[in-house]
Amino acid sequence: MRDRLLDAGRWAVEQARGNGVEAEAFVLHSEDLTIEVREGQVDTLKQAEEIGLGIRVFQGNRLGFSFTTDLSREALGETIRRAVESARYTADDKNNGLPEVVDGYRRMVTYDEEIERTTLEAKVEMAKQIEVVSKQEDKRIKIVESSGYEESRYSVAVVNSRGVEAFQKASYCGLYISLMAEENGEVQTGFAVEAKRHISELDPARVGREGARNAVRILGAKSAPSRPLPCILEPYVMTSFLGVLAGSFSADSVQKGKSTFKGKLGQAIASPQVTLVDDGTYEKGISSFPFDGEGWPSQRTVLVEAGTLKGFMYDAYTARKDNTVSTGNGMRSSFRGLPSVGTTNLFLTPGLSPPEKLWEDLERGMYITEVMGMHTANPISGDFSLGASGIIIEKGKLTYPVRGVTIAGNLFDFLKDIEGLGSDLRFFGGTGSPSVRVKRLSIGGE
Amino acid sequence: MLDRQMISRVIAEALRRGGDFAEIYVEEKSLTGIVCEDNQIEKVNSGRESGAGVRVVSAGNTAYAYTNDLSEEGLLKTAGIVAHAAAGAARDIELDLKEVRSGLTLPFLKVPDQFPFEDKVEALLKANEAAREAGPDIKQVTVSLADVHKQFQVANSLGEIVEDEVVRTRFVINAVASRENVIQTGFEAVGGVVGWEILDEIKVEDLARQAARRAVMMLDAKPAPAGRMTVVMSSEAGGTMVHEACGHGLEADLVQKGLSVYSGKVGQQVAASEVSVIDDSSLPKKNGTFRFDDEGTPGRKNVLIEKGVLKGYMHDRLTAQKEGVEPTGNGRRESYQHKPIPRMTNTYIAPGESDPEAIIRETAHGILVKKMGGGQVNTTTGDFVFDVQEGYIIKNGEVLYPVRGATLTGNGPKVLRNIDMVGNDLGFAIGTCGKDGQGVPVADAQPTIRIKSMTVGGTGFEDGPEIKRIRRF
Repeated sequence: MRDRLLDAGRWAVEQARGNGVEAEAFVLHSEDLTIEVREGQVDTLKQAEEIGLGIRVFQGNRLGFSFTTDLSREALGETIRRAVESARYTADDKNNGLPEVVDGYRRMVTYDEEIERTTLEAKVEMAKQIEVVSKQEDKRIKIVESSGYEESRYSVAVVNSRGVEAFQKASYCGLYISLMAEENGEVQTGFAVEAKRHISELDPARVGREGARNAVRILGAKSAPSRPLPCILEPYVMTSFLGVLAGSFSADSVQKGKSTFKGKLGQAIASPQVTLVDDGTYEKGISSFPFDGEGWPSQRTVLVEAGTLKGFMYDAYTARKDNTVSTGNGMRSSFRGLPSVGTTNLFLTPGLSPPEKLWEDLERGMYITEVMGMHTANPISGDFSLGASGIIIEKGKLTYPVRGVTIAGNLFDFLKDIEGLGSDLRFFGGTGSPSVRVKRLSIGGE
Repeated sequence: MLDRQMISRVIAEALRRGGDFAEIYVEEKSLTGIVCEDNQIEKVNSGRESGAGVRVVSAGNTAYAYTNDLSEEGLLKTAGIVAHAAAGAARDIELDLKEVRSGLTLPFLKVPDQFPFEDKVEALLKANEAAREAGPDIKQVTVSLADVHKQFQVANSLGEIVEDEVVRTRFVINAVASRENVIQTGFEAVGGVVGWEILDEIKVEDLARQAARRAVMMLDAKPAPAGRMTVVMSSEAGGTMVHEACGHGLEADLVQKGLSVYSGKVGQQVAASEVSVIDDSSLPKKNGTFRFDDEGTPGRKNVLIEKGVLKGYMHDRLTAQKEGVEPTGNGRRESYQHKPIPRMTNTYIAPGESDPEAIIRETAHGILVKKMGGGQVNTTTGDFVFDVQEGYIIKNGEVLYPVRGATLTGNGPKVLRNIDMVGNDLGFAIGTCGKDGQGVPVADAQPTIRIKSMTVGGTGFEDGPEIKRIRRF
């Protein structure tokens, strides 16, 4: 695969140069497997193979881009022609251009050979086991919507006309379950998910148990009165907040006036307990990779240290604009688009205390286990108002569950209001967080 | 597009080791995207993508595989992968594919190739300028457009084949306004299954001004209150509510798995008698419009709820067969990379009798929603939320002042029963609906409606009548 991708990339870059442009080819090949189980049977088995090439060209300072899923010479030629043609219409921007050649890349293990070696039957077994364990865990688990196994194995090549030639193979795999608990005619849903680099790290029983517990603990939920309360956010809930916050740390947002952090480097923007890091080299992170979508080396970038804004994430373009160097955040989710500033492994560094210590001194509060509508939070203004479920805290103890309430606030106030972090750092995809305590959120209910 | 003989051979290969049903879906598309930001044309993209997905269904279970390799060898290999997963007796079939007809025509007047790059760039720059006219509070404007021209074939072991083309266009404006420490945004989008003639009907400058106006206005808005109150949704607000409150729960796959609050309720009163809900892929030029769904079933109008009574669900082939009904033309997929599942198309609450202005006049205290954002639903419990982009406080029948940061949350069946007034107007919005990791374009619409009581989630505790309740604790 290495030769196939690099050859296609080299050929495309060479052809493009013949048109008098600087060029970069991003070539991706991936093979995915999804096994979805329901009631002990494989409901859906999906196997996918995908290949494609995206070509970015610079005609002077003008940018052009095109992509194709057909790597024949004829199709590549046509793709290059379209990319060059499109560069006629874009802005003449002096910050446009390819990244420089780098010395080399960090050696990283991003591929697990065991995934390929493990039989389909063994993977199906894992998916089935999650379902079985969840039902054993609690007899109130009445319906398992689906449980499953997923894997992705992919190869990436980046070649550019300045001499960059990068190639790497990577893989990840994961398990999930989504289910329903029922008691006295009331139903509640729950789910659990884990994604790992190595198949040996997957634990179907753990996923099954967690899914069951997540559903059962909300049974008997009622609404709650409207009022502000101190809140504890589970790691999963906090990672979805981080997903929205991430954009504000992108140099692109900052440069375009879309980040509230513009001009605030060195200032306190969060509580002193908050340290936020983006680390493309983090060993356990499933988003770790030696280079980014532009062939620039990955690195660890501290965004917030002890509450102080320390830096932003850059790709080659935004770095040039700020007269600095890329932080290896020129991300590409596929060959179908241009690189843009994005996160690798983004996480809040954990605190020292076990999560249950976070609420033991609270007279009253809410332990938030699920939020709905996070995609409606406004990443620019930071305003959010979400549907939520959770458990009411009284006198330092988790008491009764609530659902159908809203929580509202502003993300940037939220960062300043963080009062405590648990030791339970956990990753969901490329984003990680421990449990977090925040001084107050507005609860909307009865 | 692919040769029909070859397609027949691929379907036969997929069923070689057994299975009840096999299908191939082939797609070839060209896409364009252009983004104007920071007052300049910043990004362009024009790509070509082709691929095919093959599936075999045996005893209700699906095996699906896809590839970008459209050679006979590549397709037979892909069919071989799914054949491997199929169960039952081996079959050796020979197909004589017959074309399925649809009663609908979709005229595309100005296909993407006929709308030159220069003109697209000009439209973007015009919109950018118009948005910036809103004044110095506007700090950033992002205008983008995208079009897709897709050709597809879908053929199956029943001997059916459909070949069709779809043109889809979209124009989106995002404006960011800020003053002192407050940042707010405004958003407008237009698009559908229509060529670029859409820009002959809608002026992009007007859309841009509207987006910018909303961003600036929200700078001065007060925080939305929190608590239960009467909600009036203007027809301009779009149909996020109907999409979330009942649309998803009426998709047959969720219903059959027992994951919908609407399971087993056909023939029952599930909404106020003023409420009828329709899903109609045959409406011209809307975002969820098609001649055929992605399984080759002709598009049509389906009445889901009639005068409050549940009539039926939205089906794909698989769920229809399970229930012993006709497919309703709701089998959709994001691309050749996905298996079809039951999805909404253009979903709306049918207009009623009331004068929209009278609905507001007759409301003593509540919130007026003039623009909705995104939403989400848990179909099992029926709990849903959606975001209010532009909201106002109503007092004694008068619209007072704008509020920001509000989310409405409710329970689908409860809210539908709680609708007490339905206006005689209808307003559409476009969106991309996500389910099982697949995004498909949809439109939704509502007349102006009033819901007696719903939970509003804001931060403005000082403002609402709930303040008394808070003080009691």
